Order: sequence, then structure tokens, then C-alpha cells
Amino acid sequence: MLQVREVSHSYGNRNWLDRSGSRPVLENISLTMDKGSCYGLLGTSGAGKSTLGKIILGIEKPSKGEVWFEGKNLYHSSRKLLKEWRRDLQVVFQDCYSAVNPLMTAAQIIGEPLRNFERYSPKELQRRIGILLEQVGLRPEDERKYPHQFSGGQLQRVNIARAIALKPKLIVLDESVSSLDMVHQTQILSLLADLRTHYGLSYLFITHDIRAATAICDHIAVMDQGSLVYQGGDRESLIQCAHPAVKQLVSSILPEHPSERIVLN
Amino acid sequence: MHGGEVVEVDTPNVLEVRNLQVNLNTGTGLVSLLEPVHFQLGKGRVFGLVGESGSGKSITCKAILQLLDQRRMEVSGSVRLNGRELGSLSSEEMRCIRGKEIGCIMQNPMNAFTPVFTIGAQFIETLRTHTGLSKRQARERATAALADMNLPEPGKLMRMYPFQLSGGMLQRVMIAISMCLQPALVIADEPTTALDVVNQLKVLRELDRLRMEYGTSILLVSHDLGVISQMADEVAVMYKGNIVEQAEVYELFNNPQHKYTRELLQARPRSSKALSPL
Repeated sequence: MLQVREVSHSYGNRNWLDRSGSRPVLENISLTMDKGSCYGLLGTSGAGKSTLGKIILGIEKPSKGEVWFEGKNLYHSSRKLLKEWRRDLQVVFQDCYSAVNPLMTAAQIIGEPLRNFERYSPKELQRRIGILLEQVGLRPEDERKYPHQFSGGQLQRVNIARAIALKPKLIVLDESVSSLDMVHQTQILSLLADLRTHYGLSYLFITHDIRAATAICDHIAVMDQGSLVYQGGDRESLIQCAHPAVKQLVSSILPEHPSERIVLN
Repeated sequence: MHGGEVVEVDTPNVLEVRNLQVNLNTGTGLVSLLEPVHFQLGKGRVFGLVGESGSGKSITCKAILQLLDQRRMEVSGSVRLNGRELGSLSSEEMRCIRGKEIGCIMQNPMNAFTPVFTIGAQFIETLRTHTGLSKRQARERATAALADMNLPEPGKLMRMYPFQLSGGMLQRVMIAISMCLQPALVIADEPTTALDVVNQLKVLRELDRLRMEYGTSILLVSHDLGVISQMADEVAVMYKGNIVEQAEVYELFNNPQHKYTRELLQARPRSSKALSPL
């Protein structure tokens, strides 16, 4: 469904005569995602995970390489097609409060993509919003609330409702659960798993948390300093991978029980 | 190696919290944010405070530090630091205690520093506020402390601004500042929540050293049970403004008594089977 072909990207110097000052953030990345799969992208902060996410979403043009989505090149396509892709590619960010307009109610936030892309009657729009709220586990009366009246976990549900409103094909989850506490994290993860089967969604799950990734992903890749250093299927082969960046990530997992403590000093 | 502080021998507990209670005055009535809580913290021990967001963990910390808005919050109960009652102190005296005797490490290191001054300027200012060091001495101490935190190029770091550092590095700068002042107690409120796993471990490592080398007691607030099981000696579980369970860390993980604790322990994502949709 989605193919990233030899993508490189750099930030910094925009001068086309002299690119010496630019800093490479992605180097020669290739990956393939199948329909309905959940692809976990792991790595420490600054590894280039979010940049790759943005490139896949079509909001950051890579310096080199191509992104193909359903057989078409994302960065060489007509306006009409691009608009289609705006529907099919959705995103949920980590910081839920800055991802919404604080002056809009939950109903307005969730309804915005529907108003932009669909031509529903006000009544139908209201009905859709109600269904979406229910699907993400919020109460009908929550639709009148403003973002500051929600907790982080609840507002993240609003964000997810907005992302699934147009029945997209791929959702990029950029550290979507990282700032939530354990109880809410688990709830959101199982919600995402349910929505995936219900809508046949694909996820690109960007995180630094190996546990969360192995809990819902069927394919895992690890990034380090702009390169993909590991791609694989299951948790076991990830743990056995010899690359130092992967090893460091794996050895930094905190214990589930005090008897398994890591020796710190 | 101790600073000028005289540690009283007959008080084994660095921190004693009794009947600490917080009510919020909404104008129409009182809303209870924190039911009476009690706990003690011995020298060099780590006391973990867990619970979901909104359960009252941060309120407890702020109440201990007397950082709550006194016009809107009613705080009652007793907080003793090394046997000294903090409630009866003036705000001026309390200001001397914050930083010097109670170090503080907050969740968002970006907001804990002023963006307009360099790391060095802020470090030196903090040191000189609480000690009689000259500027040069303070600079030397600061540079040494940064090097001690395994931060690269401390001299260069001193001239940098907070936005030029990563979250993990800033958090270690915060610990370095605390380390220099050798407080009896460090309150670490979600110190690693904003960090990735690799940086998280680095910060925890330095926190652990703070305790090993200076005997600092740590009140560690976290919603992450991994952090708690790695660091804490004793754990209190908070739920809706109450401490619902309090036990030694092994006891709590092996033998959770309260229903909510069990829920919390089960909430951790484990294998791919636990959460697969079918």
C-alpha cells in the first residue's frame, strides 16, 4: 500500500548553491507497508522518526527519494489526487492540547474534517459526530466541552475520533500515547486495536516505547541517526538484534518487577 | 561529604508528612483535592508515589513545597523536614529551604529554565543564592557538577541556552544543580516522563547516584510503574486524592492489596497477545 523508496532528507541550509551547512536527518530510507498492517517505528529522540512520519503524510517534501501510496507517487501528483490523500492519510500527535483549536468544542473539532470533505446536512453531521464520540469511548454530552475541560487521555480520544472521521487508510500515530499514564495508555492502545479491525486501518506507530510498540505492531523498525538499522517482525528477533542502537533501546527497558532491576551504578 | 548542614541524629526521618490535606476554594464551596495523607521518608531512601493523572500526586508535592496558591487552596496538616515543622515558617524562610534543603526536579525541564539566560548564568545564580560562593568558585563548581553528570563539554554547555539542549540533558542539568546544593530531600515530579527510554535511564542513573553519594532522600512521583519498580524502596499508590495503599516495593508488586493497585499493575502493556484485537 505504502512504499518509501530511498528517501533522504536534510534540514538547515536552504541555499541551492551551497548545501554544505545542511544537516542530514534521514539517509536512504526504504520501507514497505501492507494494507491493514501496524508498523512500529522505534528510536530515541532525534533519530528522525517524526521527520519520516511527516514525509509519509505528505507534509514535508523529502530532499531525495519517493513516497508511493497505492501505486502513485505522493510528491508528483495532481491537486485533486492530493486532496484525496488528505482524506486517506491522517495523523495523531503526542501533544493533544496543541493539536486542537482551544476555541472549538469537541463536536466542532471532530466535525471539521467532515465539513471539509463531505456534504452532510446539519442533522446528519450531528449524527456522525455522535457515532464517532461513541466509538472512541466518550459520552454524548462531551461534544459541548472545550479542550481544556478534557483530561489528556480524553482529548487524545477526541483527536483519534477526528482522525478516523473520514475513514482514512493510514493513520500516523506520532508518540500518540507517550504522554499518557499507564491506565489511559492501555485503554487508548486497545481502542486503536479495535478501530483497526473495525475500519481495516493501517497504522504507522512512532514511539520510543518498545513495550507499547510490541503490544500492537506486527512489524517493527528501529531508526538511529537517520537510518533504519533494524526491520523485523517479532519481539524476540528485536531483542536478539546485535546493532548497538537496538541493544541500547532494549537494555533501557525498565523492569516490570523490582527483582529485575537494572544495575545503575 | 556534607555541606554546612547539621543532620540531627535523633530524627531518622528526613521527611514526615502527617494529615496533609488540601481543599480547593471554588467560591461556592470547598472541593477536596487531597484527603489527609501520611508518609515518612528515611535518609537515603526513595519513596515512590504512583497513580493516574489527576490522582493528587503533584498536589502533594506542591503542598510540601508550599507552592500552592494560598488564596484558592486551603492546606492543613504537618510537614516536617529533619524534624523541623515547615508549616510555621515564613514565606521568606521557606524560600531559603526550597532549592537548598529541598531540591526540585520537574516534569518539563524546558519550562524550569528561563529561556533568556544561559545555563551557566542560571546555575551560578542558584548556587550563589544559597551559598556564599564567589562567582568564580560557583562557576568552577557548576562546571565540575556538569562534568560529573556525564554531560559532554561542560564548559561549552555553560554558555548555551536551554533551547539548545535536549530534554534529557536539561533534566541532568537540573540534577546537577540539586547535587551541588546537596539537599536533604529531592522532589522529582515525573522526572522522565518527557524523555525517551535511553535518556530516561541516564537520568535515573544520576538520580540514583545523588542518593548513593550524598544520602539524599528522593520523593519520586511517576505514573510509570517501570520507573517505580526500578527506583523506589517504598511505594504509595494514590487514587482520587487518597493514598489507597502503601508498602515496600517488593510487597506491593508481589502482593497488591487494593483493587486499584491490581488494576494499575495489570495496565502495563506486555506481550502482543494482551492487546491484539481478536
